[in-house]
Amino acid sequence: MTANRGRWAAWAFLAPVTGYLLAFYAWPLYRNLDLSLREYTVRSFVQGDAPFAGLGNYTKIFGDPTFGPALLHTVVFTGASLLCQFAIGMALAVFFAQHFRLSATLRGLFLVPWLLPLIVSASTWSWMLNSDSGIVNAALGAVGVDPVNWLTSPQWSLTSVIIANVWIGIPFNLVVLYSGLQAIPPEINEAAALDGAGGWQRFWRVTFPLLRPVSAITLLLGLVYTLKVFDIIWIMTRGGPTDASTTFATWSYRLSFGNLLPAFGPGAAVGNLLIVMAFVSGLIYIRIQRRQAA
Amino acid sequence: MHTSGKRWRTAGAVLLTVALTGGTGACSSSDDAPSAEAGGAYTIWDPYPQFDGTSAWATLLAKCGTDSGVTVERTGYDTSDLTNKALLAAQQGNSPDVLIVDNPVISTLAEAGVLTTTEENKLDTSAMAANLLGAGQSGGKTYGVPIGANTLALYYNKKVLADAGVDIASVKDWPSLTAALAKVKAAGKKGITFSAIGTEEGSFQFLPWYWGSGAQLTALDSPQAVSALTLWTDWLKRGYAPNSVINNTQTTSWQEFATGDYAFAENGTWQLGNAAKAGFDYGIIAVPGSSGGTAPAPTGGEFVSIPVQKSTARYATSAKLVSCLTSTDNLLATDTTLSYIAPTADVQAKQVAENAALKVWVDAVNAAKGRTGDNLGTKYPKISEPLWTAVQAALSGSKSPQEALTAAQTTAAAATK
Amino acid sequence: MISRLKTAAGVVLTAIMLFPVYWMINVSFTKDTDMRASPPHLIPFDATLEGYRAVLDQQLPYLGTSLIVGLGTVLLTVVLAAPAGYSLAKLRPRGGGGLSFVLLIAQMIPGIIMAMGFYAIYLNAGILNSLPGLILADSTIAVPFAVLIFTAFMSGIPDELLQAARMDGATTWRTFVSVALPISRNAVVTVSLFAFLWAWSDFVFASTLDAGGDHQPITLGIYHYIGNNNQQWNAIMATAVIASIPATLLLIVAQRYVAAGVTAGAVKD
Repeated sequence: MTANRGRWAAWAFLAPVTGYLLAFYAWPLYRNLDLSLREYTVRSFVQGDAPFAGLGNYTKIFGDPTFGPALLHTVVFTGASLLCQFAIGMALAVFFAQHFRLSATLRGLFLVPWLLPLIVSASTWSWMLNSDSGIVNAALGAVGVDPVNWLTSPQWSLTSVIIANVWIGIPFNLVVLYSGLQAIPPEINEAAALDGAGGWQRFWRVTFPLLRPVSAITLLLGLVYTLKVFDIIWIMTRGGPTDASTTFATWSYRLSFGNLLPAFGPGAAVGNLLIVMAFVSGLIYIRIQRRQAA
Repeated sequence: MHTSGKRWRTAGAVLLTVALTGGTGACSSSDDAPSAEAGGAYTIWDPYPQFDGTSAWATLLAKCGTDSGVTVERTGYDTSDLTNKALLAAQQGNSPDVLIVDNPVISTLAEAGVLTTTEENKLDTSAMAANLLGAGQSGGKTYGVPIGANTLALYYNKKVLADAGVDIASVKDWPSLTAALAKVKAAGKKGITFSAIGTEEGSFQFLPWYWGSGAQLTALDSPQAVSALTLWTDWLKRGYAPNSVINNTQTTSWQEFATGDYAFAENGTWQLGNAAKAGFDYGIIAVPGSSGGTAPAPTGGEFVSIPVQKSTARYATSAKLVSCLTSTDNLLATDTTLSYIAPTADVQAKQVAENAALKVWVDAVNAAKGRTGDNLGTKYPKISEPLWTAVQAALSGSKSPQEALTAAQTTAAAATK
Repeated sequence: MISRLKTAAGVVLTAIMLFPVYWMINVSFTKDTDMRASPPHLIPFDATLEGYRAVLDQQLPYLGTSLIVGLGTVLLTVVLAAPAGYSLAKLRPRGGGGLSFVLLIAQMIPGIIMAMGFYAIYLNAGILNSLPGLILADSTIAVPFAVLIFTAFMSGIPDELLQAARMDGATTWRTFVSVALPISRNAVVTVSLFAFLWAWSDFVFASTLDAGGDHQPITLGIYHYIGNNNQQWNAIMATAVIASIPATLLLIVAQRYVAAGVTAGAVKD
């Protein structure tokens, strides 16, 4: 009897969120699927009688010459961003966990990049990385290095957007990893110190393994958010020059909204590919979690 | 235990208050099923977010509204966003009554069935210059009227040229322009700046040179087209133009010119206000053709159109609003504010009468072409994108101009079959 | 002594991280003619206040609206996500795991797709161009993440505490409100922080769903300076600077509470 009441209560607590999910996520997801499975012209988008195209849009994008580079860049962009954001965030979290004077205020200031509208942060980075009037090239010139065409050369444009994205991603990693560190009882660290372990050893052998669950969720969420990133790349390089910094997210946007003649079908298809990538990563995460719990 | 309950109750009260205030706000601004009575609310969407409710533009819209017996609700959108907003709204039956958009977008919206033709809305377009009206026409029908036109020309810095010993009268064609740039660079200044960004803006800026070489948009890989792209690539290689042009918008390019270090800048009429504030003496010449003469430049500027509505009785009032906006006096005021050239001959005459320096621009506008003209219509976007991609590829050094344009022509031909 | 060294190191690191923010402030004081000066000016020599004047004249209502939207989103997110997190963590209904997975995937849908989908729903419900509508839309950014955080945190609450309350005769709801929530104060603050920041910097939903509204957030107000042909960069940066000040203060205050054990539940003893 109590068990039944418990189950009822459990779902009652979940009801608002479940309804919310159905109402607000199911419909856009369905619309996106529909957009990708039909052949849409601007006319049929407005008037609403687009013919069913099956997987036609998907074959079209798989055969597009931009597909290969976009895939590569998406993987590189996501991988490099995650690695750097995580490493820097972890280092900073460990540093700030030591509670020196002003550490709380400085930690708060580290979150400022997050407050800025993306158009402002991306534009600021564009200005700093400008080939002729940017401060980065001016600084390089002051130490005798040739100016680098950060945003306008195919070799450097991907690196530039990765740098900007890492900058924007550090606050998130810092906050979550710091909270994880706070959860580790200090006695464990003290015990390891008493046993004679040095600082680096203590971190690697004691702290880091304890942080594995937090790290896993940080990386997974980071992956999901980074796959979606497009504002930064679009504002800084528009995905160029010549697709040198195009990822799936920017490609999807360019197809649907970035030119004078929107191609909603292929754009939605690329967007769905991104969702599939996140889905697969989520499955991998669950498999790793289960294996750990076992 | 009690305190947490109180906290929840306060939280709930706050949420309710926010919802109510927001709700009443929404009630006052929402558009209930639009009906065609006089005194109703008519919506106007325009791409001028820089004008707020107190600006001359907004006041003009309100005045046209009261003259036509209705209240106007105006929203300014970011111009690159407005196409999608218009399509989305049309899909949901929520189109505005009057829509002002950038001219190459008109053919896209017309094809989507979003706009009414002049037959349906009874607008009078007889006074409009034919070359300017062309961008709003497709399949023999007219879908909108221009509110003003702008085009591109070369601004030059008189002091930089004088210091380099260049006489502006000698710049008549491409070889003489390049020679002038060489002299400027030798004198320690920078040559020319423009915008070659990978968006429609880049194509817009490249077109005077493209058309000035004699090339047509239907054959992107012709020898003339290659010569135009080679002109730009050479300038970059020799340092006459900065590397930043690959990412420059027209605004950024203007900012480079405004530092006073550049001899030339390719930009449009809308910079006239900024040019006056630049702090140095400037002049304007038309973009030269490859072997002399004036290169045809593309027309910019917005069109006023009337989207399709469920209740066709609204068109009469919408047409009145549009006629008010494009009446002679109002055109003069609007185009002066926007720094555009008027689309009708008499208002152009009035503009020149007020400011003789505008004559160069009026001539340029009269010689200009619409991008979607030549019956290209919605083929233009499918040609423009490969074109700006080719420009980017050549300027960034990943392909030679010939290779880049051949690839572009293959893409464009396939897309416009 | 070592503590002072650490503080110094901390200040240096923060300065490096915030250099782009300094650059933003630099640009906000720069005259239009100096925008592309090469080499760039580290300090705005010929400073101008025109950007700030424009912002103070025009943008304050937008700031107020952003504040309301931010706080509203926080409220809505916590109200929706806390019970759900409690349920997934402690009440363990069957299929709860599946729901967690769905929440993860839900965050994957690009914002513009969500916004386009909402447009139709909002238009028919009559909440287009309204603040409650915008608050609802912004909460979709934060709710999945919030549920995950609450779940992770609340699984760390000792079961004995909850059982003690049950044995005293409290209902599930009472247990939740009077025992679980107060302990989860840190999780509430963390979720509020994230929800506020995401709502504050949201542009896509504001642009699609509130562009015609009487009250608009700061992310739309900035477009006042992004005209169809000209952009006023010093005013744009000035808007960002002024918009960041109240939010930064809130951040510094809130950081103190995002201390212990938000993810305590994830650590197995």
